[in-house]
Amino acid sequence: MNPVDSRAAVLISHVASGRWHALEDDLVVGRGETAQRPDGRLFVSIDAWHDAAFDRLAEAMLAALPRPLHTMAAEADLDLTTRWQRAGFTTRRREWDYAVPTDPRATGLGPALPPPGVTIKAFGSAEEAPLRALDRAIRAEVAAGPGWPDMPAEVLVRPQLDPSKYAVAAAGDQYVGLLRLAMVTRLPRIGLIAVRADHQRRGIARALLGHALSALHHVGKEAASAEVTESNAAATALFEGIGARRAGSNLELVLR
Amino acid sequence: MARKSDGIELEGTVLECLRNATFRVEFQNGHQALAHISGKIRKNYIKILPYDRVLVELSPYDLTRGRIVFRYRG
Repeated sequence: MNPVDSRAAVLISHVASGRWHALEDDLVVGRGETAQRPDGRLFVSIDAWHDAAFDRLAEAMLAALPRPLHTMAAEADLDLTTRWQRAGFTTRRREWDYAVPTDPRATGLGPALPPPGVTIKAFGSAEEAPLRALDRAIRAEVAAGPGWPDMPAEVLVRPQLDPSKYAVAAAGDQYVGLLRLAMVTRLPRIGLIAVRADHQRRGIARALLGHALSALHHVGKEAASAEVTESNAAATALFEGIGARRAGSNLELVLR
Repeated sequence: MARKSDGIELEGTVLECLRNATFRVEFQNGHQALAHISGKIRKNYIKILPYDRVLVELSPYDLTRGRIVFRYRG
């Protein structure tokens, strides 16, 4: 089979809601899917074995779907980004993928104590009700402020709020900041660091990070990963200030 | 009517992460392939690291090329 067959050899089948296949000689040579983020943005993905399959899938999907459409691509994957650009997508924002050291000698976070009146609750020790209240408050603040479209693309629909995944900053009875950690694989992932607006710029995020990285170092994890939107200067400064290294980047592309 | 057939899928182990967002994967039979990650994996922020066990769909055009469609836990 020749991968440079003409576009006409590729047939597109809309196999289910939000799912398309590109077929060539009864072989699936490409798949396209959609996924709606909790903030309403519609993301598309296409996996295709050659340009003609990608282009035909993009043509069919873009004709059927409402705009704007979003997609994610590793910036280093030039083939994929070129294909999306050929379909009319442009870069909307970049996320840095950081490798974060955990050793206090590398991070300098050993003495990162929270500000007076604030305590850090270890993973698993936060109470669920105030943690849920904090999550709601932070989501409302983000929605009223910068908005989710400028946040890293992963926004959990219904967070499980498993306290074992959260380190929490408490001021008296009120929870004012959180750090969510995912330990799915050998590389722990910092999924979210957030501090209530009226408690920001006090070193709480740094203290949460110091606590989490120290806990990881204690159990033998040498590094964690985190994604930060390039335009988020505060988060970028926080991570780069503790020795985090840029390990890659992802682009969010949009078709308006 | 049989309209489609899926490609060959093999379990393998990631040997190394290459610079251009590809991964060198070795299968149990010793065969190796260069694989990209699938759109679904990318959308779900799943990280692929050396020594990860993964499921790779091989290209029907070139069995040395593939795409990682699943990463096993653990």
